[in-house]
Amino acid sequence: MTAVLPRRRPAAAYRRARGSTGFLEWVAIHSIALALGLMFLLPLVFVCLTAVMSDRQALTAELWPRQWQWANFVTVFEKAPLLTYLGNSLLYSGVATAGMLVSSVPAAYALARLRWRGRNLAFLAVVAAMMLPPQVVAVPLYLLWARLDLTGTVWPLVIPYLLGDFFSIFLLRQFFLTIPRDYVDAARADGCSEAGVLLRVIVPMARPGIAAAALFSFLYTWNDYFGPLLYTAERPESWTLSVALASFRGMHRVEWNLTMAATVLVMLPALVLFLVAQKTFVKGITFTGVKG
Amino acid sequence: MTATLERPAAARRVGAGTGPGRRRLRNRLTVLAFVAPAIIGFLVFFGYPLLATIFFSFTRADGLNPPVWVGLRNYVHLFVNDPVGRTAALNTLWLALVLTLLRVVFALGTASVLVRVRTGVGFFRTLFYLPSLAPPVAATLAFVFLFNPGTGPVNTALRWLGVDSPPGWFTDPTWAKPSLTLLMLWVSGELMIIMLAALLDVPVELHEAAALDGAGPLRRFWHVTLPSISPVLLFGVVNSVILALQFFTQAMVASAVAAGSADVVGNSKTLGYPGNATMTFPIWLYQQGFRQFNMGYAAAMCVLLFLVSFAGTAVLIRQMRNTSGLGEAR
Amino acid sequence: MGSSCRPRHLSILMATLVTGLIGTACTTGGGVTTQPAPAPAPDEQVTVSVWSNFAHRELNGLNKVLDGFRAKHPNFTVESQGSQDDDKITQAIRGGNPPDVAISFATDFLGQFCSSGAWQDLGPYLERDAVDLDQIPDAVRDYTQYKGVRCAMPLLADVYGLYYNKELFDRAGISGPPKTLSELREMAERLTEFNPDGSIRVAGFVPDLKFYNHRPQMLAPHWGAHWQRADGTSGLSADPAWREFFTWHKELVDFYGRQRLSQFLASAGQQYSADNAFQQGKVAMMIDGEYRTAFIDEFTPDLPYGTAPFPVADDQPDRYGTGYTTGTIIGIPRGAKNPGAAWELVSYLTTDTDALVELANSIKNVPTTKSALTSPKLSVDENFRTFLEIFAHPRLVSSPASPNGGAYVKFTEDFATRYLSGEVSDLDEGLRKLDEQINAHNELSGN
Repeated sequence: MTAVLPRRRPAAAYRRARGSTGFLEWVAIHSIALALGLMFLLPLVFVCLTAVMSDRQALTAELWPRQWQWANFVTVFEKAPLLTYLGNSLLYSGVATAGMLVSSVPAAYALARLRWRGRNLAFLAVVAAMMLPPQVVAVPLYLLWARLDLTGTVWPLVIPYLLGDFFSIFLLRQFFLTIPRDYVDAARADGCSEAGVLLRVIVPMARPGIAAAALFSFLYTWNDYFGPLLYTAERPESWTLSVALASFRGMHRVEWNLTMAATVLVMLPALVLFLVAQKTFVKGITFTGVKG
Repeated sequence: MTATLERPAAARRVGAGTGPGRRRLRNRLTVLAFVAPAIIGFLVFFGYPLLATIFFSFTRADGLNPPVWVGLRNYVHLFVNDPVGRTAALNTLWLALVLTLLRVVFALGTASVLVRVRTGVGFFRTLFYLPSLAPPVAATLAFVFLFNPGTGPVNTALRWLGVDSPPGWFTDPTWAKPSLTLLMLWVSGELMIIMLAALLDVPVELHEAAALDGAGPLRRFWHVTLPSISPVLLFGVVNSVILALQFFTQAMVASAVAAGSADVVGNSKTLGYPGNATMTFPIWLYQQGFRQFNMGYAAAMCVLLFLVSFAGTAVLIRQMRNTSGLGEAR
Repeated sequence: MGSSCRPRHLSILMATLVTGLIGTACTTGGGVTTQPAPAPAPDEQVTVSVWSNFAHRELNGLNKVLDGFRAKHPNFTVESQGSQDDDKITQAIRGGNPPDVAISFATDFLGQFCSSGAWQDLGPYLERDAVDLDQIPDAVRDYTQYKGVRCAMPLLADVYGLYYNKELFDRAGISGPPKTLSELREMAERLTEFNPDGSIRVAGFVPDLKFYNHRPQMLAPHWGAHWQRADGTSGLSADPAWREFFTWHKELVDFYGRQRLSQFLASAGQQYSADNAFQQGKVAMMIDGEYRTAFIDEFTPDLPYGTAPFPVADDQPDRYGTGYTTGTIIGIPRGAKNPGAAWELVSYLTTDTDALVELANSIKNVPTTKSALTSPKLSVDENFRTFLEIFAHPRLVSSPASPNGGAYVKFTEDFATRYLSGEVSDLDEGLRKLDEQINAHNELSGN
């Protein structure tokens, strides 16, 4: 059976290819991972510690809180309607991600596995489209949205994702290319339409890649500050969390302890999402682990 | 879903046989349907701003009043009269070379570690990715604080390890760009996850076959892993080049924090601190367009940046394709 | 939100695409008015939107003053929105949907605001209402107008003076603050303390032009240095005071040793945290704004410090007592829907004594009219009083009108960094090149 259409059992590949799985190797790999993990974690520990400091201690050389001011997490809710912003952020990121998937997955497939004239040119166009600095593009685009009377709403942020996100198209195309052509050909020979091939072969096989693309567009929009500031700042009721993060500031200085407390809160939903999404990769492993 | 894959030949239908002409038409319509939204998006969100920018680049414009045609003056100024612009261009080139290379290698390296981890897989993935989850301003501030030459734990640790005069990191002109690179490696979780997904996608049979042939781990990595993930590798390279060429937020925040003015990001005093070592081309461009109302000049800078980015990337893609078949698997 | 919206928006999008390309000369409406828009009738209900970059405590302070305005004008509804930065306001003006009233901290951008017409000329309103501009100090009037066009009014000011640490002064046996620049240098050296390993423990005065508010704009007035020639071009090489300015700093850098100074600076705490080097007693003297008094009260209330006018060049003693000022500006953007009503609000906020005093008390800035300055309701302590006196000095200085968003400051700071680190061998030649650089940049914007 596998001779015709081999299953892919990635983790098993490493396991088997590695041959013996000695204890020493386990220790070595996990020590490296732990050391790396610690490096990745340290600055975030700083964020968390600052989040519970007093305003007076924030951004001083004393990194350990003198007193643990847990009330900061309450204060940020009092100072800013974070729940409203949370709703806006979820709306922005959710719709943008869904829109990206609907618009970009087919386009990426067409670029990766359909034959048509101008395909290579189109690919270059996708690459080119990522190269205009957003700070410059913002000026003509703002004028456009202003004429449509859509500034102050979430539409200028979301509509671009409904019309194909170039970063995602590029990423997805590259992932689709790693799927051997035989699978696609076999499905076509089965009489699948191209939409069928896409939905039944490409999408399931490229699930980690698609999950990654979805995750990134969600997180990018989640942390996007420039876009929401430009388009929603004039109507506080449509602010996102990322914009709200900048609101703990005064004329001269920022209340960093509150900013960091809010930062931690803003990270939490993203973290939960990541924990769920990364299971897509884990599943790949356990699935093949059982079978392989 | 994978079930369909596992009984392939069984369901081979014959009924789909139609004339080649209709087939071609259907194919065309499919392609059109698949790419139509993206084409509209391309025209509106790339074509229009690009044309507008090219037009502005030949004018004196503040974005408020009718632009005045000035011919090539903005370009002449850029090449002749703007030392800060020149420094910024060199910094951005530096980043495009060094940051790109290190980011791809680092992401692939961490992904390779992750793929071998067997205990606490989800834990480690989350840990490695965590910095990329954090809002950039807070993350950058935290990172720079830990690298404070006098009071930060990094240099405290280095001194404890016996390094007499540890570097000044973000406050030292020679160390500032390497420090920024470190910062960007710290938040390279996105590329790491992409590499991880690609590594997990490598067909097992290829590895098994190579192992049977007696290939060692290094050779297997070179001859099996790399070729199969090459499209994703190409993505990593191009994505990193773009990231480096458009490097903006972290450099702005890092320089402000290093200058002791974390609260006033974007102030002329902190831009490029120290000594314009962290002044990137997009930062100077933004400064011109938004702060100094030289939209025309900013547009000229933008056109130049775009041309160089695109030419460089196109050559890169072609080279990778030609030399190693990278980027176009099978 | 229904999906039916999409095709419609798309077609509009395409249509705009075409017209947008041709008509990039964004005519955002509103236009420049020569006739002032009439004030709304007392029974006419009007809504005025106000954008500022204030937040929280300061925004509350502003809103309380706005409540005072509403009490006097019940027909007004005021929508005050904080956290609107300058880039955002500019974009909104470009897009044609700006607020009626904009508040900005960016006096550097005023040249563009006025000359581009982004902020409307307030001249006709001032004339119609016969507003007494003499109430506003000359320097403040300067930084709120550009080439004769007054497109903004001052809404509180910042003033810069000398902060000194009394305990460190006592330890060094110095009785009072310096009055001349040579005294400043001499005291700076006496106040400096080194650690056994040669590193700096206490710096008397930091001769670095990127340290906290040790910026060229704030310091230059005390050397009597002028930014521009009479014709408006950059004049750093023409004014010998700049030479003095740079060599004074260079000599003090050499006293510390460049390496040791950069080490000291690298670990000086954040400017607006409790770790501020002055507040930690690591710096004996510095130049800073009046708002620092509020930070000291809040973070290090036990700090024994004093304030004084910043010392001046030895040969220009009559300058003593003055300083540099800049401040918050308020104006009516082009395209404002309700300019007549907006002016009523701007006028109230910037000329009503009680309003200014209330705002100054809550934000801890200097009020910008003479009657507000002398109001008994203004809360003033000894250290804050120094700044009121500097502000009242007839030779108070502000930034020159700049058409390019303070690019000249950036270039001067860059030059200072290079000069102070010994990279520039010929100071005169360097200053000439700096002038060329600034002038070339100004020509970009057609000025």
